[in-house]
Order: sequence, then C-alpha cells, then structure tokens
Amino acid sequence: MATTKLGFIVQRPPYKSENPKLALTHAIASQSVEVYLKEGDLVTADIAFIGDGVLNCIKNQKAMDIYKLTSTETHIKMALLLDLNILVCKEDLARFGLTENDIVIDAEEFGAEMKTKVVPFSEITKMMEEVNHLLFF
Amino acid sequence: MRLAVFVSDYKITVDTLDRLKAEKLGIILVGNGVYHTTIKENGNPSPLLKKSANFYVLSEDLETRGISSSNISGNIKVITYSELVDLIFNDYEKLAWL
Repeated sequence: MATTKLGFIVQRPPYKSENPKLALTHAIASQSVEVYLKEGDLVTADIAFIGDGVLNCIKNQKAMDIYKLTSTETHIKMALLLDLNILVCKEDLARFGLTENDIVIDAEEFGAEMKTKVVPFSEITKMMEEVNHLLFF
Repeated sequence: MRLAVFVSDYKITVDTLDRLKAEKLGIILVGNGVYHTTIKENGNPSPLLKKSANFYVLSEDLETRGISSSNISGNIKVITYSELVDLIFNDYEKLAWL
C-alpha cells in the first residue's frame, strides 16, 4: 500500500493564460486514476496559491456570466468538493491587501466539507518538502 | 498624437509607458491589467496609476475577476465594451498594446 503525494503550486494570476486552471484541472484529474492503482494505493493532491497566484482565489468571479467560461473560483470549489487540500499564502494575501473575506473559503453550495486554508509560507514549504512530485504553474 | 495604450498584464514594465510620449495619453486596463485598479501591493497603489493619463477599465474584465466596479477610484473611468469601441473611434488616433 503506497500513497503518492502531488503538490501543485500556482504562482500566476488567473485568465490571461490557462495556466492556473490547468493546475486545478490536473489536481482534480489526479483523483480519477484509481483504476490504474493497486488495491489500497492512493494519490493525494495539495494545491498552493502563492505570489500573484493568490489573485485566483478572489471570490464572486463572473466569468460564466460574461464570457461563458467556468470561473477559476468554480474550479477551486470543485477541488474543495473532492477534498483536495487548498492552501493560500497568508503573506502574499496580506501583500495585496486581501483578507480571508475576499477569497473562496468554502464550497458549501456544492456540499463540500473541505475549506481553503490561509497559511504562512512556511507551511507551504513544508507541504513542498513532503510531496513526491511538485508541479509549478 | 492622441495615443491609447491597452495594458492587459498585472506585472508590466512601467518603463515602457514612460517612454511613450503623447499629447493625450489614455491607459485602458483590460484582462489582468484590471488588477492595477484595486490591488495595493504592500499598501501602495500600482505605480502605473501615477502616470499622467486618462485611465479606463473594462467593466466586464473587472467582474470576471470578482472585482466590483464600485471599488474603483474616481480617476479611473469604468467602461463597457461598446464604450471602449467609441473611445477607439472617437478619442484616440493610435493604439498600442503592452
């Protein structure tokens, strides 16, 4: 029985490129590989938003209303629904003058129990040390 | 020259803007450029906003990113796509995209 831990680090703002959304879709897709795993094996995915990447987490995004695009906010909520661990760098949020009130913290409307965690960068570093594979977006 | 410059990135080199000379300069914030309007890095407004220019921001791109038009300061005009088209045709002779 083995657990493979994946870490996705998002450091770019949303929408200009597909990059941050790819991190989320890859992390979400990582949870659908069960058929290829041996009995008892697991794949976990942590997603951390750092630097300009924390701008992805601003709530009330209206991408669907305006551009008919699934918003990055919705992608984050889908990740929460799948119980993925989502970390947001506390120092970077503060640098932009943002607080927990400004970002996506839960996805209760979808029935998700997991919540976004605002943590110091040191905790994100710890996560990076613990994972088997680290992917930067 | 009446020049309108589109800024679609959050991180940009203000240097390039400094080199552009125009009798009338318009800076139109679109895409991720809209973050310049509200994000205060380390408590400071974007250095871009110190430029002597007429500032515009596209409302659709603000709302897409979860930023309310009501949070935009008075010196930046919030415009729609159709108003942007009017600006391009009526107010500026040349356009640049940074």
